[in-house]
Amino acid sequence: MLPHLDAGYNLARWLTRDAHDAEDVVQDACVRAMQYVNALRGGDAKAWFLTIVRHACYDWFKRNRPPEIAADDGAAIESAADGEALSPEQIAVRASEVRALGDALAALPLPYREVLVLRELEELSYKEIARIADIPIGTVMSRLARARALLQRSPLLQAIDGQSSGGER
Amino acid sequence: MNCNEATPLVAAYADGEVDGLRAHSLRKHLAGCATCAAKHQAVLDLRAKLRAEVPYYPAPAALRDRVRSALTATDASAEAQRRSAGDRWRWLATGALGGCAATVLAWVVGTAVVDWRASEDLAAEAVTAHVRATLGTHLTEVASSDQHAVKPWLSARLDFSPPVRDLASEGFTLTGGRRDYLGGQPVAVLVYRYHEHVIDVFVRPQQARAAAPALRSIRGFNVARATGSAMDWVAVSDVSPDVLSGLVERLARDQAADSDARSLMRPQPTERPPGQ
Repeated sequence: MLPHLDAGYNLARWLTRDAHDAEDVVQDACVRAMQYVNALRGGDAKAWFLTIVRHACYDWFKRNRPPEIAADDGAAIESAADGEALSPEQIAVRASEVRALGDALAALPLPYREVLVLRELEELSYKEIARIADIPIGTVMSRLARARALLQRSPLLQAIDGQSSGGER
Repeated sequence: MNCNEATPLVAAYADGEVDGLRAHSLRKHLAGCATCAAKHQAVLDLRAKLRAEVPYYPAPAALRDRVRSALTATDASAEAQRRSAGDRWRWLATGALGGCAATVLAWVVGTAVVDWRASEDLAAEAVTAHVRATLGTHLTEVASSDQHAVKPWLSARLDFSPPVRDLASEGFTLTGGRRDYLGGQPVAVLVYRYHEHVIDVFVRPQQARAAAPALRSIRGFNVARATGSAMDWVAVSDVSPDVLSGLVERLARDQAADSDARSLMRPQPTERPPGQ
């Protein structure tokens, strides 16, 4: 558990978007992991622990922020993502911060955020992500594609691109 | 390979999820198709940016320390616990063998084992609750060393009124109380500090016959139990077993005898400062 504590905390931090909440979630996950440590036979310890952290996160959401996990159908997720429209002033202010890409990632709807964090920050394979998020590999691929498209299209990110490299397209 | 075939594979290829022949033909297609190559490059660019600009949050040191100390306690006894679980089933198997007379014996043994398991589960549950409370930040819901503040707080929130004693004069300082669950039932927890150790004492109305083993060690924590004053007392801590069972027996016994003759000599001759 200890070798993967950073990965667990990073995931919880990105899912909850709050340092304090993430600590609560990881603590809860550790208690669970200690109870079920016998269930870990051979398998991949990192994916196993991240699965527990994710479960702890969702339970935490259920208790504290039900709206975050309420909308799980594609349309609702998409409208939530597009609803994050920002005024030009907001974009200018946020773009001046180096954290703009982080903000854009944090603004992604939960199901997209989690697959992207697992893939790009934790560098996990599709198979591992499928196991952790409890979805088929095909869904991993479609959510990743959608997450990337949303991020590349994000007003936050385009403001950055406009300033620096001039965009990718 | 043409664009229609390549498009759905580009992202997976960038993720290292395409291999063999398909990877080879995709590579060839990307070399000749600017549109698909740009899509591929966009995935790689986004990844490079994410890894460079987005913060990776390592676990805070305090959290790591808390988890480490909880783990050390767990590892030490995990092996012992597994062995005792094996023994338990062998017991049951032995009981199931044998003839007619053995059936009666098996029934008796079986009931004892079920009782024993229930009490063991309760002890394990108490340890888990103790670990969870010490790991977290809600060890006490009411923080007070005044027994007259802790008792009414607990009584108001439970359907029974647990006896509360501060034993600071004997080294057990009452630091507060909280509610917790044991066997799916709300119970009172009195939190004591003994030197640097935290002791949780779970209190619930007495249940069934008290055939529980008085002392157990689970995952490095000691669990001492006693029954008295119409309550079940379960103490969990990492202090030595004799200190713990001393406390829990004292609490159970003391409440029973402790009507109003508090200044009278108790069987245990400790010199308490007057006024306590």
